[in-house]
Amino acid sequence: MLIAFEWNWFSLMHWDWLNDQLRAVLNTLYYTPLGEFTRNSRWAWPILESLHFIGLSLLIGTIGMFDLRLLGFARAVPIGAMHRLIPLGISGFLINISTGICFICAAPDQYLFNSAFRWKVVFLTIAGLNVLFFYTRVFRRLESFSENMPPPLAARIVGGVSLGAWVGVMSAGRLITFFRP
Amino acid sequence: MDAFFQWLETSGPSTVLRENPSIMVFPFILILHTVGLGFLVGANVAINGRVLGLARGMPVLSMRRYYRVMWAGFWVNAFSGMLLLIAYPTKALTNPVFYLKLALIAVALWMARAIRRRAQAAPVAAGTRAPQALRALALAGMACWLIAIFAGRFLAYTCTRLTWEHSC
Repeated sequence: MLIAFEWNWFSLMHWDWLNDQLRAVLNTLYYTPLGEFTRNSRWAWPILESLHFIGLSLLIGTIGMFDLRLLGFARAVPIGAMHRLIPLGISGFLINISTGICFICAAPDQYLFNSAFRWKVVFLTIAGLNVLFFYTRVFRRLESFSENMPPPLAARIVGGVSLGAWVGVMSAGRLITFFRP
Repeated sequence: MDAFFQWLETSGPSTVLRENPSIMVFPFILILHTVGLGFLVGANVAINGRVLGLARGMPVLSMRRYYRVMWAGFWVNAFSGMLLLIAYPTKALTNPVFYLKLALIAVALWMARAIRRRAQAAPVAAGTRAPQALRALALAGMACWLIAIFAGRFLAYTCTRLTWEHSC
């Protein structure tokens, strides 16, 4: 199923400099052993996709649930203790980076020249910058957040931006298949 | 059964869901199903993670509000899943993997409820290890979700019939 770019305003394909840079690496990525394997193995693709969804669940299960707590949901949860879930979310993120690299190597043009994929990278960047902001501005004060009290504004902003960015990552990711060049 | 598939797939709603080219129809339903999965399984990851010993500083019952997240995710996915089923009934209902997926979800949900009931009967305080029965339920629940996700993704690769008249 190919869906034309009906909403052209959200196309991220007009940056010629970027397109030239990406075009130059297409063949290199395509002929990597990783790319060959992912493309040609009978079951590699569905297995990697399943792992990508499992990584997603670990990420939302830890970072997403922590974001909800930062927003003021489930205030009975001691937030400093909850932060110990984050390493599990990082492992989910690493699963998804690894499986994602396999997909890109298998069919680089389908991802690098795809508006939905570029939006996914935009949302990932927002999530990443938000993590930086969290650890520099909010994390030190985490232990002082009391249970059953509304979290400070900075915490609520960080939680909201993070949740929005990850929902954006998932949505754009799910749309990739409809924006293949 | 084929008469039913033909009737449903030639009906208005099924045809619209399958053939409308807008991003706001079929792709949007897939987005709902993916985000719903994230929150449904995610809430379980957080609760079961605590039961299994991660972040033990949280009393298990302090997380009870996350069951609402779990059920919200579940209903989003029951709804979006129903629409996907209306769009492609033959594809799902003629594939044994689909029934495996539904059974695993049912078992996983039952386990999540059992964990909640047990935690309410015998609270697991901050810093303490959950009893073995609870940990076994949490581990089995995670295994169910893991296999259910595999089953869900493999639906697209193991189907034999796409619609009443076309094969996969």
